[in-house]
Amino acid sequence: MEQLFALTPLIPVFPLLAFALIVLWANKNNKLSAGLAIGGIGLSTLTSWAVIAATVAAGHEVQIAGWSLPVPWLPTAASIFNTGFAVDGFTAAMLFMVPLVCTLIFIYAAEYMEGDPRYARFFAYVSLFAAGMLTLIVADNLLLLFIAWEIMGLCSYLLIGFWFEKDSAKKAGLKAFLTTRIGDVLLFAGMLFLYSRTGTLTFREIFKPEVLDELSRMLIWGLPASTVISLLVFGGAVGKSAQFPLHVWLPDAMEGPTPVSALIHAATMVSAGVYLVARMLPLFAIVPQGTLSWVAIIGSVTAFFGATISIAQNDIKRVLAYSTISQLGYMMIALGLGGFLAGVFHLLTHAFFKALLFLGSGSIIHAVHHGAEHADDHHTDPQDMMNMGGLYAKMKRTSWAYFAGTAALVGIFPFAGFWSKDEILAEAWVQWHEAGSIGLPFWAWLAGTLGAFLTALYMGRQIGLVFFGKPRSKAAEHAVEPGNRMTVPLLVLALFAAFIGFINVPFIANGWLHHFAGLVHEPAEVLHLEAVPFQISVALVSTAVALLGFFLGWGMYRNLKAGQQDPLARMLGPVFTVLKNKYYVDEFYKFVFIDTTVALANFSAKFDYDWVINPIVNFVGNTGRLLGELSGRIDTVVVDGMGVLGTARLFKWMGRELRLTQTGQAQNYLLVIALVSLSLIAMYLFGI
Amino acid sequence: MNNLLLLLPELIILIVAFAVFILDLVWGQERSNSSVFPALTMLGALGAVIATVFIWAQAGSGALQLRVIATDSGGALSMLAVDQFAMFFKIYAALTVGLVGLVSTDYIRAHTSFRGEFYAMLLMAGLALMLVASSTNLVMIFLAFEFLSITSYLLTGYLRDNDFSVEAALKYFLYGSVASTVMVFGFSLIYGATGSVDLRDIATALASADGTVAGYLVMPAIVLIIVGVGFKIALVPFHQWSPEAYQGAPTPITAFLSVGPKAAGFALMVRILTIAFPGFAHTAAANWVAILMGIAILTMTFGNVVAIWQTDIKRLFAYSSIAHAGYMLIGVVAIAPQYVGGSQTIEGWSQGLNGLLIYLLGYLFTNIGAFAIIIAVENKTGSSSISKYAGLIKRSPFLAVAFFIFLLSLIGIPPTAGFVGKLFVFGAAINQQMFVLAIVGIVNSVISVYYYLNIARQMFFEDVEDSTPITVSGGLNAAVAISLALVFAIAIFAQPFITWTTNSAQILASSF
Repeated sequence: MEQLFALTPLIPVFPLLAFALIVLWANKNNKLSAGLAIGGIGLSTLTSWAVIAATVAAGHEVQIAGWSLPVPWLPTAASIFNTGFAVDGFTAAMLFMVPLVCTLIFIYAAEYMEGDPRYARFFAYVSLFAAGMLTLIVADNLLLLFIAWEIMGLCSYLLIGFWFEKDSAKKAGLKAFLTTRIGDVLLFAGMLFLYSRTGTLTFREIFKPEVLDELSRMLIWGLPASTVISLLVFGGAVGKSAQFPLHVWLPDAMEGPTPVSALIHAATMVSAGVYLVARMLPLFAIVPQGTLSWVAIIGSVTAFFGATISIAQNDIKRVLAYSTISQLGYMMIALGLGGFLAGVFHLLTHAFFKALLFLGSGSIIHAVHHGAEHADDHHTDPQDMMNMGGLYAKMKRTSWAYFAGTAALVGIFPFAGFWSKDEILAEAWVQWHEAGSIGLPFWAWLAGTLGAFLTALYMGRQIGLVFFGKPRSKAAEHAVEPGNRMTVPLLVLALFAAFIGFINVPFIANGWLHHFAGLVHEPAEVLHLEAVPFQISVALVSTAVALLGFFLGWGMYRNLKAGQQDPLARMLGPVFTVLKNKYYVDEFYKFVFIDTTVALANFSAKFDYDWVINPIVNFVGNTGRLLGELSGRIDTVVVDGMGVLGTARLFKWMGRELRLTQTGQAQNYLLVIALVSLSLIAMYLFGI
Repeated sequence: MNNLLLLLPELIILIVAFAVFILDLVWGQERSNSSVFPALTMLGALGAVIATVFIWAQAGSGALQLRVIATDSGGALSMLAVDQFAMFFKIYAALTVGLVGLVSTDYIRAHTSFRGEFYAMLLMAGLALMLVASSTNLVMIFLAFEFLSITSYLLTGYLRDNDFSVEAALKYFLYGSVASTVMVFGFSLIYGATGSVDLRDIATALASADGTVAGYLVMPAIVLIIVGVGFKIALVPFHQWSPEAYQGAPTPITAFLSVGPKAAGFALMVRILTIAFPGFAHTAAANWVAILMGIAILTMTFGNVVAIWQTDIKRLFAYSSIAHAGYMLIGVVAIAPQYVGGSQTIEGWSQGLNGLLIYLLGYLFTNIGAFAIIIAVENKTGSSSISKYAGLIKRSPFLAVAFFIFLLSLIGIPPTAGFVGKLFVFGAAINQQMFVLAIVGIVNSVISVYYYLNIARQMFFEDVEDSTPITVSGGLNAAVAISLALVFAIAIFAQPFITWTTNSAQILASSF
């Protein structure tokens, strides 16, 4: 089995190859392109399974310490820079989720994207996207991870702006790219610090206890190096995983085709940030009360705040987008409280059920869109839930799958989200009770529990609006279930949403995932990695709020008539308007950053052209011309010589003059040899 | 291993060269178009590479100190060293011959009716390169050096009906003869001072010689040797033959001249200076590092600024290759250990040399790749004027893009081999605290952007006068593809190449 580890580097290669083949060869043939993309990711999935099997068989030691394949790459002054691949329990767990979810999304997309003029290009991009994520997972060092990270950044830009004829899509792509870039720069700065302080970017080298210890005692800007570096790394994750305050790009990312949303929200992009924090967790934790608290605070704020926005959105995908932001906040809470596995567990389960919900919403949009075409109606927005209603009767398969995803997200026993979200809340609960006072763990628990209520509320609202009541538009009346290639992936994902939670249930196999993936940071000796015991009180409270929230939402919205006012808007009044406008964060950013930048640019331009620089330049120029006219040719040469062009002119002049030494006369050349030899010798003989 | 087996690479080249001569003689004019000649050349080059690798492997990883000895009644005289340093250049020479053979076929078919001999001469020139790189005594050095010169003259004047070719060869010959004479005069001074022609014996003798000898005989001799070698490398001010020889020579031979003799010259310079005159590198009275430093600065600057004005691409590449020789010379200058207080380790010592070798390797593939394209364009348009590159992107996208990449490598932009070479030589200069040298090198790299990208501008942005596509034979295509692959490989998978050059460079370290 050990030999199977050697397959690891191949995992990202298959989709990469698919990308290359589609771009270079198959791009004229839609079927072939989709086939190549699905084949590539399918092979990755199979290879991943082989590697997972090897990890399972290799036993506990390997699951913790990991298998690795260092590849010497660039010699630097101090040492040879290694890149390479590594697999441990955590990686193996990710390898189970990522390629599988990607495969299902690709199969789904093969039908969803039909009729698109850039069908082949779509599959090329998503293949590259998947290759980026898979590289990120199997990288054993931050540099390779960063390269993959940037590839994903590029792909997200290309895919979100895939329908670039739409102005909004073009802008959304740019917004995603620029916003995540802020995080990328921070991450890169963190990497530079880390490399300059330790001389390595390989994870296992950084996490040696002595290296960590040294990092915690070195200072950067008066703070422990580990704190500064981990804050910068966290900055990268905040961008990529859409945490407050860099969350603004994710809802706009809905402009991309729905399979892309599923890809970004579940298997790839946003997982990368959480993965990064989880991977680097020992560095975050080495100084107590350091970065981790910030992770927990940002996570709590995001979890609560994302959920509140979500209840006021009407676009089916935007509800899910804010839901993702909120759920990512939960993962950050877990990691911030040091609950490594709780965060990872939620990352895995969330990927399955969020992919399911997104693909489900895609299926609904697809159906409504077809309905709208059937009814010859081109004004109805197929993504607006206010135009839906009563779809359960028309789309049985999608509905049931969607219900399973909803149950998992809301946290209904025994669906996946119940186990993973509860582990996070239990982590906070236990730490609160151990501390015995109201502190960060309490606030995290409170934010999480309130968030759980809101989650249930917006999902209840969504289910009520979409599936129940009477159709509120012609389009919804004529909606039809899409074909098998779209519904079968949904059903498969529904199975996972229902049962994947059991891999880490304390009563079954003794919390298997915990032993398999939860101890990878043991060698670093900084984190307490014991599993939290199951907390029945936490489970009861969160189940109660979930059921309450869900039925509240469902009850209020299930019989909403067309044109009727939104019940929550009536209840909440101006608060609802604030939520609907996402707390005006986008407007705030536009006002503070974009408008001021534009104003500054205008100001600078005015400064240049009208007020200062240009007048000065003109003045200098006029003076120069005057002087030139007065004192003739010599002055012109001087003024020219002072310009930037002067240097170029000097070299050109030198070249032109020196060129003349090439006379073509052999006797001249020979004279040069003689003179040069003699003068060099003379230098030595006479000591000149 | 016995002496003959050690010479296996040389023997293979020699036998193939004779085979080509004889076949050409027997078959006569009618069959001189045969592909057998280039094929044999390629096989010979490949065989030489394999044989060299084989000998290297036989010797294991340790430092090789094998040498070929000639004996007569007077005693044993060491002639050739078969060490890793020499073997690096043997592989280099074989690759040069193979690649030049690959790009020659079309050109030779189009320009002359005497074809077989060309390949034989090319192989002989390759053999001369190998001998120059491994000679260890002054007599053998002179013989090998002249062998290389004479084959180069013949190849330059190979187009005997073309006045330019003949004139170029004649000038090259006149200049080369004088330079050789100057050098051999230097040798005679050394023999007079030490009574020996063996490089190691010279070093031993000089170590115990008194200061007068050093001041009045050895240093002038070193100057004279630098003149001779400087001619071969085309260092300023011993470069004047090169623009005319490059322009007049058959284009494949221009490619050969720009990489082969240059590398051999460097091999010779490094071997003589480090083995025979380590004590003269940087002392108050005798200081070859200072001379070379001055020459390096002159060479880089002169080559680059004059290149700006060239309108003929072969002439431009002549000056470009002068400038590159200047960069490479930094690698030789940076080998002096005295600059860092005498506490230099062997690793640090060989860094400059390592840079020289990796630079040469990258330059080989970059330049031959570029020349392959120059040949393709010349075959089509019949001219080597830079204006003929206008709109190349429309006529052959592959050639235009490939040429652009070679130009980037010549400028030294990552991820190309040219970047790695510059990184190492400039890095070595900085490590030795020779900041002036590094700064002049970097400023010159910037100047070079101007004329290299001027070609790119022509290719991509100028209008085409004649838009017929340029089709290229398989051989040229293969040469471009191989060169492209290696230009990237050296930059991206740098480690094996660097290990190789480091192993080759360190063998000379024991003498310091």
